[in-house]
Amino acid sequence: MIKVQFFSLLRMLLKQERIELSAIEGETVAQLLARLQKQLPTPFLHKLLDDDGRMHAGTIILVNRHNIHHLQGLQTPLNDNDVVAMFPPGAGG
Amino acid sequence: MTADRYARQVIHWGEENQQKIADAVIMIAGVGGLGATVSQLLVRAGVGKLYLVDDGIVDWPDLNRQLLYGEGDIDRQKLPLAKERLSAINSTTEISLIGGQVDKNFVMPTDLNAVADCLDNYSSRFLLDELTPEGVFLVHGGLEGDHGQVLTLQSGQSQPMSEIFAGACQPEGSIPVTPDNVVVIAGLMVNELFAILFGRPKLLNRCLVVSLADFHMAFLDV
Repeated sequence: MIKVQFFSLLRMLLKQERIELSAIEGETVAQLLARLQKQLPTPFLHKLLDDDGRMHAGTIILVNRHNIHHLQGLQTPLNDNDVVAMFPPGAGG
Repeated sequence: MTADRYARQVIHWGEENQQKIADAVIMIAGVGGLGATVSQLLVRAGVGKLYLVDDGIVDWPDLNRQLLYGEGDIDRQKLPLAKERLSAINSTTEISLIGGQVDKNFVMPTDLNAVADCLDNYSSRFLLDELTPEGVFLVHGGLEGDHGQVLTLQSGQSQPMSEIFAGACQPEGSIPVTPDNVVVIAGLMVNELFAILFGRPKLLNRCLVVSLADFHMAFLDV
């Protein structure tokens, strides 16, 4: 299983904190997001990606605590038991 | 009597921990919303020494949440005001002022126990984290609207903040910030600073994500 966690505004938008999906061999973060969008009733991909499928600035995606910017981005491959966290941190102070 | 100043908190955390606070040296990076409250709470608790870093002047949009300043302070530099107000609260805390921004020329003090990231933009935060001496704890706070987060990193042990928050957004224009959320996040930061001084940080490599919209808190491990 892959555990997906939603934080802050994403949690509020989706009205849930986490979801578990079966792992698919070779699946990437981008493919997982597309699968999630089919499964969840609330549109949320537009918060993360632009029309060309590139990530907006704003929400960080961590796979097993590591930001995908420092892995392979949206093409980061996922494995069984991975934890994927999505979080739009506040910038003000 | 001045000896009774800490009586109510010593009942809670004991003389030994009070001494740890009295011996502590903490740098407050940014004396705006978060920094004004974090510094005030630390001074009230009896922290030994504070470094305050800021280069701003007081403006009207600051007054909703920057608790050290008032209407009579408009257009005045924040740092001397902050020192004056904090010293009036507790004259036993040594306060050193560092004017200017956290940039590549910034020289970090070398006697720090902890750094409080009370800044308002990620580029300065990343630099602050990079400049924090090895082994020193950095408590990050950030907020926007009804949401906010607190995270502790230890330089040399934790992932760099620039890696954790890569891709975080610095919104164009003004960031929505309310007095209630600022005080909540600042209070959590100070609670974590005390925990660090007492030798048991609770948020090391663990981001506490707070939503006032529904009073929800969650941990995000980083």
